[in-house]
Amino acid sequence: MMTRIFTPYLLVAPLMIFIAVFTYIPIVMSLDLSFRQWNFLSPDMPFVGLRNYEQLIASSDFWNSLRVTALFTVLSVPLRLALAVFAASYLVRESAPSRILRGALFLPAVTSTVSIGVVFSWVFSTDYGMVNALLAHVGLAKVQWLQDPHLALWVLIFVNTWKQLGYDVVIYIAGLQAIPQDLYDAASIDGGKRLHVFRRVTFPLVMPTTYFLLVISVIEAFQVFTIVNVMTKGGPAGATDMLVNLLFEIGFVLFDIGRGSALAVLLFVLLVFLAFLKSRIIGRKVHYEA
Amino acid sequence: MKRENPFLTAAALLAGLLFLFPVLYSIWISLQTVDAYYAGQASFTLGNYARAVNDFNFGRYLVNSLLVSGLVTLLGISLATMAAFAFARFTFPGGNFLFGATVATLMIPSHISLIPNYLTLAKAGLLDTYAGLILPAVSNGFAAFFLRQYIRGIPKSLDEAAYMDGATPLKVLWRIIVPLSRPAIASMALYIFMTEWNSYIWPLIAVGKEDLFTLQIGLARLYRINPGEGLVDWPLVMAASTVTILPVLLGFLLVERHLVRGITLGAVK
Repeated sequence: MMTRIFTPYLLVAPLMIFIAVFTYIPIVMSLDLSFRQWNFLSPDMPFVGLRNYEQLIASSDFWNSLRVTALFTVLSVPLRLALAVFAASYLVRESAPSRILRGALFLPAVTSTVSIGVVFSWVFSTDYGMVNALLAHVGLAKVQWLQDPHLALWVLIFVNTWKQLGYDVVIYIAGLQAIPQDLYDAASIDGGKRLHVFRRVTFPLVMPTTYFLLVISVIEAFQVFTIVNVMTKGGPAGATDMLVNLLFEIGFVLFDIGRGSALAVLLFVLLVFLAFLKSRIIGRKVHYEA
Repeated sequence: MKRENPFLTAAALLAGLLFLFPVLYSIWISLQTVDAYYAGQASFTLGNYARAVNDFNFGRYLVNSLLVSGLVTLLGISLATMAAFAFARFTFPGGNFLFGATVATLMIPSHISLIPNYLTLAKAGLLDTYAGLILPAVSNGFAAFFLRQYIRGIPKSLDEAAYMDGATPLKVLWRIIVPLSRPAIASMALYIFMTEWNSYIWPLIAVGKEDLFTLQIGLARLYRINPGEGLVDWPLVMAASTVTILPVLLGFLLVERHLVRGITLGAVK
């Protein structure tokens, strides 16, 4: 064609510059900073080798965060997916009721997480909250939902599930719509009960979608921050101190740039490993031939 | 068309309202006077909104959020469309590599760039400025990827006819590709806007000056500083929360279908 050779480069250059400056170079910077000691103010930033990593791994905060984050992930992701596939199998048909419910379920997914955190702080607040008011109605005592270390994480899991469910449902519906209708017809001609059809037809055929959602939501669960920051600040007693919350505390409250970067690098390696796992799994035989 | 069962529709409506009840009820609380709220009585006032705007600067936060999200969307969609056009229509040395690097950003967790971006912007003197809020959010690999897929579906003969007539690549982009990609550009613009509107951790880090707070930061702080002697002033907090939710909520109701289509296409691809 008669276009000049550098046209495509000019077109991609602006995006590439932004990606380089704010996405790729920061990875290298983080790695470099993780080997240094710096508090953001002092004029020099001495090289300290692996000391930041050693301190991190020796600290109970780090292991607590890792445990809390893993717990949050292991509890919330299967819950979300199970609820979503169940809801989606009912809402996949085009009808007014299913459109209404899809809209209602999806709404929280596009709503501000800060607002949701604030609203549910009220829902679960001890003295004026909705949940305790309902409990009082049936004669039960007040529960300190967000102040009890054994309960706070469950509240966050509940709120996160409430918020993200609609996204999972929408993706599952797209996956279900790809399943040929004759498979259902065949199964019901064979006299399949609803549950039977679900187990033998729906569940296996929707497997690729499940894998996709599984990996996305695991990666996302490892990066949960906003809801923690708004509702619990990582408390009570570290019970909800997820990894990114710890990173925020070390980096931007204590201004320990070196140790914060070391934590960022560790979390990065973990997440890239999970993302890699995803591409492996997705590349493998979880797809079906229609 | 099948006839709908009105009973089922009503039941679905009820179930949907029940699911959203906490948010709906928070809007109700925002319309109560503080005294009536704590006395457990019903009342009606718009005073909490007036207080949020007059005493707690939420009008300013709203303008900041609109400005930042608007500019991020405008810049983000422009950059993504230009790059997508190049990736879809030109073969050039390094093109595949650069496209790969763009798509790979989808897998890079954003927390890794928090500290470095803070340092970069501090060095450039851009902390506590609008530019500092906007610049790190401008590049959007997903939008570039999505638009590239879409543009590839547009018949190439249209471009070629225009080149025959002596059009420049920019003219082809502006006159042919952009008009024909309008639905895709619209859903991506919407996606970028909503993501930026709800963004929290970066504004929390990049801005300390109260004048530059976005709604998310203002709301989180208002809830934290707890104005109202020990008791949380829930009607005020809920008014601020409603202001934070409402613009996106209205946008959502208008364009739900586009948004859902954009998100599912991205996921299923």
